[in-house]
Amino acid sequence: MKNQISKSKLHLAGLFLAAAMGALKAEVPVDFAKEVAPILTAHCTECHGPNVQKDKVSLQRRAHTLGVEGWRKVIEPGRPDRSRLLTMVAGPEAEMPKNAPRLSEAEVGILRRWIAEGALWPEDLVLKEKVQDGGDWWSLQPVKVVPVPGGAASHPVDAFLRGRLSVQGLDFSPPADRRTLIRRLSFDLLGLPPSPEEVAGFEADSRPDAYERLVDRYLASPRYGERWARHWLDIAHYADTHGFERDQKREHAWPYRDYVIQALNRDLPYDQFIREQLAGDVLAPEDRDAVIATGFLAAGPWDKVGHDETPSPVLKRGARADDLDDMVTQVITATMGLTINCARCHNHKLDPIPQSDYYRLWAVFAGTQRGERPLPTGGKLYGPVAKAPAPVQVLVRGNTESPAEPVTPGGLSCSGHAVPDFGNDATPEGERRRLLAEWIVHPANPLTARVMVNRLWHHHFGRGIVDTPSDFGRGGGAPSHPELLDWLAGELQRCGWSLKHLHRLLVTSRAYQQQSGTVHGASVDASNRLLWRMNPRRLDAESLRDAVLTASGCLNAAMGGPGYQDFTYQEAYAPIYQHVTADRPGLWRRSIYRFIVRTTPQRFLSTMDCPDPANLTPARLTTTTALQALSLLNNEFMLQQARHLARRIEQSPGAGASPEFHIQRAFELVLQRAPGAAELALARSVVDRDGLPQLCRLLLNANEFILVD
Amino acid sequence: MKSPHSTISTGSRREFLWKGGGGLGGVALASLLQGAGKLEAASLVSPLASRPSPKLAPAQRVIQIFCPGGMSHVDSWDYKPELERLHGRPFDLADGKNFFSGKAGNYTKSFWEYRQHGECGRWMSSLFPRLSGCVDDMAFIHSMQSKTALHGPAMFMMNSGFILPGFPAMGAWVTYGLGSENENLPAFVVLPDPRGLPPGGVINWGAGFLPAVHQGTVLETAAGKDPITDLFPATEAAPMEGAGRDFLQNLNRSHLQQRAGNTELEARIAAYELAARLQLSAPEVTELRGETEATRRLYQLEDPDAGPFGRQCLLARRLVERGVRFVQVYCGAENTTAKKIRPNWDSHEDIVRDHGYWGAVLDSGASALLLDLKSRGLLESTLVICTTEFGRQPFAQGNNRGRDHNPGAFTAWMAGGGIKGGVSHGASDAMGWKAEVSPTYSYDLHATALHLLGIPHEKLSFYHNGISRRLTDVHGEVIHGIVT
Repeated sequence: MKNQISKSKLHLAGLFLAAAMGALKAEVPVDFAKEVAPILTAHCTECHGPNVQKDKVSLQRRAHTLGVEGWRKVIEPGRPDRSRLLTMVAGPEAEMPKNAPRLSEAEVGILRRWIAEGALWPEDLVLKEKVQDGGDWWSLQPVKVVPVPGGAASHPVDAFLRGRLSVQGLDFSPPADRRTLIRRLSFDLLGLPPSPEEVAGFEADSRPDAYERLVDRYLASPRYGERWARHWLDIAHYADTHGFERDQKREHAWPYRDYVIQALNRDLPYDQFIREQLAGDVLAPEDRDAVIATGFLAAGPWDKVGHDETPSPVLKRGARADDLDDMVTQVITATMGLTINCARCHNHKLDPIPQSDYYRLWAVFAGTQRGERPLPTGGKLYGPVAKAPAPVQVLVRGNTESPAEPVTPGGLSCSGHAVPDFGNDATPEGERRRLLAEWIVHPANPLTARVMVNRLWHHHFGRGIVDTPSDFGRGGGAPSHPELLDWLAGELQRCGWSLKHLHRLLVTSRAYQQQSGTVHGASVDASNRLLWRMNPRRLDAESLRDAVLTASGCLNAAMGGPGYQDFTYQEAYAPIYQHVTADRPGLWRRSIYRFIVRTTPQRFLSTMDCPDPANLTPARLTTTTALQALSLLNNEFMLQQARHLARRIEQSPGAGASPEFHIQRAFELVLQRAPGAAELALARSVVDRDGLPQLCRLLLNANEFILVD
Repeated sequence: MKSPHSTISTGSRREFLWKGGGGLGGVALASLLQGAGKLEAASLVSPLASRPSPKLAPAQRVIQIFCPGGMSHVDSWDYKPELERLHGRPFDLADGKNFFSGKAGNYTKSFWEYRQHGECGRWMSSLFPRLSGCVDDMAFIHSMQSKTALHGPAMFMMNSGFILPGFPAMGAWVTYGLGSENENLPAFVVLPDPRGLPPGGVINWGAGFLPAVHQGTVLETAAGKDPITDLFPATEAAPMEGAGRDFLQNLNRSHLQQRAGNTELEARIAAYELAARLQLSAPEVTELRGETEATRRLYQLEDPDAGPFGRQCLLARRLVERGVRFVQVYCGAENTTAKKIRPNWDSHEDIVRDHGYWGAVLDSGASALLLDLKSRGLLESTLVICTTEFGRQPFAQGNNRGRDHNPGAFTAWMAGGGIKGGVSHGASDAMGWKAEVSPTYSYDLHATALHLLGIPHEKLSFYHNGISRRLTDVHGEVIHGIVT
């Protein structure tokens, strides 16, 4: 206090002096907190702050700049020209900041005066890295209430799309034919091809609402949940083993997979879907399904050696840190599409996410371990196991051995929709998760609905309105149709978070039903961002396998329960999984029921771009390789299935055993169409020379089978 | 760090490269290396299409020998006379909390004697009598460190730069950047130990988030098996020729005609043609009958212990000879039930038994490979890397005959392909406990390897879930001291 008084007296004295000398301007001493700190934070502390200290220079505290504790001395108080801090940033030849814009002359002037005045810097003022400014970033703004262009006359999706198309002088392509349409819709909603009879029925259906009826029928099919669960499990990086060195089985992970299928099939509102997966055990501890839903939190990889086996506390802390990182990254990228894991070691470089926000999310899960837990009505789940939450501190550079300030449970400060405080150190483990869930599904959250409708769009149209479905930050893509995205996000909430309502909306649009083979817009919009045609796609690995089994008639439609294990298992320190050919009904179930082994991917599927379940996969890559050709031609599963398909054709009732009938049926079962005359003649010579199984094998290798128009 | 999609607007060619697996990073790199606009049409067909390496790059291809389990640097490459003085005294440098299996035993000197070798006078233990003769071609990095003492994560770190699974292996990055010199063989080939897979399994050579075409292809090394899975039908099936080929081609061609401009369809047709060529070229690689008796003796193919690894090394030479860009050879396994000795270098209880066995195996195969490459003039353009995932402790474990994991220090070496022979970089402390001079993680080794291949490591990147990812993360300095 005394000090302050004397300082302000000094100020006054200075003022009077300056006034007396007629130089009123610029003689008020520089205010460190208001004038200097913002400069250092904006330009310097990213590399000379709490997480990185390049060249042993730290600008965190005054003492550091004076060279204590082994830091390089960069300030000579009172002597700006002998202060490294100033000489590095001043003048046209300034070396710093590296790879970034120079300081302005005004900024340099402030630093010079401040040092000349003694480089005063309050003891308790510690500088940190800058947090990116996100005030104006589009995805953090509230979802806008947007009217549909042109009112209620046309389909809302088309109305928005057409606006952009017409600016470019484009329009939609003509509607696809019925066969193309049912094939597209069936693979999209069910992940399976339609039967030849279904195609014929749809082609013959002259009712004006034939297509809408088909959509409703598919949305009501249990196959729908099996298909769309695959997309969600990609985001959850679900598998049935731990991964890492001791890749042991998780015998009780599958109930979560079944939960996702069932929740989608009964159109559980999306907000409730999220609530249950984050905190179902807290919301309804007696509800078996709600408890199973929390399997989401433990779906990812887990290092048994690091958690259980090493006696080293450092290694244990490291493994637990990776565990927490996995959980918070999965939860936030899945629901809100922000890449918070970038803030593990430093403030996010692009988005307004301070490092402390990231660790506040850790604190939400500080008592959440992974393991087996009993279920209310018997049975077990591999899921979250509640322990007393451990205190959480920010970790300097993400290093578990460098803890800094403590944090309390919370969410992200940048979304601004609700107070992101989830209690304190005394808040029970489950309550923290419940509060996080409510914060994520809060109606004003600008991201949750946008991210989900964009995921649906991505899977239906082949590319999202935002083409980075799990990154709505500055590292991601900009929305091609921002108003449409907001309208859809609003619609999801208006309809009570019904995903099936959104599916119906998207697939009944003219945009979805148009042809894919046209070229009229290629010169204007080669990448088809404006959707002047439908995007053709190759079947993903699982759909391909399921389509082969459907064609051959082998598909085992049994739903739910433990996954099929298409491998032999040998107990060992590192268990040995060896895949075998799926050659019996028990292994001919849909691919969603595969027992997924992390360290030993199923080779046939991963060759077809089935992703590594170590990664969160919001969008799959599609590659075209020679190894794919070899697998489809020669893999024992494919050869066996070709034989089963041939047998199915030969044994089918009807037009006897003429080769023409066999060829006709083979085309129908694989391609859902009849062969042309030339095709029939070529097929005939294949059958005559190499037999019907060879024709079946070739059809299963055709581009037409593997691509969906 | 813009989204790759957001920059695509001008043409279907870039679009295709992105979707077809080239990735914009690949395009950017290819342009960077070859001059903008010079991208050959061939690369539209396949992301692995032959792209000549950057002209001035000393290394055109890589053979990486990986010794899983943790090789003891203090018993092999890193001479520590101080350990002889301290031998038998209690280890007193740390509280032991960071050791994998707990308590530290007494300081223990090398189980093998050290002598100086070559013109460079390099100290090397008698574990490697043959490799000792190659030291003038080898450069050692004695200050390697790992971020973890756990096998799985440490394997991932050494292979991909990250301790978590899901990141692309170095071989995947290299083929992503450079493609292949031979379209008729996979660009990244892995030769696992015939006894089984290393810790962490096949994702050690995974493509992570890179397109699947860049993942390592396992070449079956055991005789009598197809060299590549599904290269030929396992059961009887009609050959793909004559009427069958005509039928499929006709079906695909007429399908394509109605969908002009769909490059993916053309690529699939081309993939079937490439597959047919692979059926010819892959068996030719593994057919060793053409090798001379002297070569067979050099690799000790008939030796029951050294033979299998010798065969792997010989296959590696045959692969790079045919233009394969990156070959990874494993000297040791994990996933195996073998009992007599440890299945890899992880010598917790008996280092003389286990390092003795694996040392002889590595010594024979790796020295044969270096000599063979050199005599064929291939060594100067082939970078050979030998590494492990971490080292072992300078103190004893078990019955005073084993050593625990040591992530604090280990040694890697490189040879050929622009490497200056007879030199070393960095140093561990006097006991070999921690890297002391120029400590480095996998990043510098990876940066140096990419540099020798003509790739600036900061430029080889791929956008994934919000970050432009690199093999070297945000680190990496080329070790110029070991480069010619």
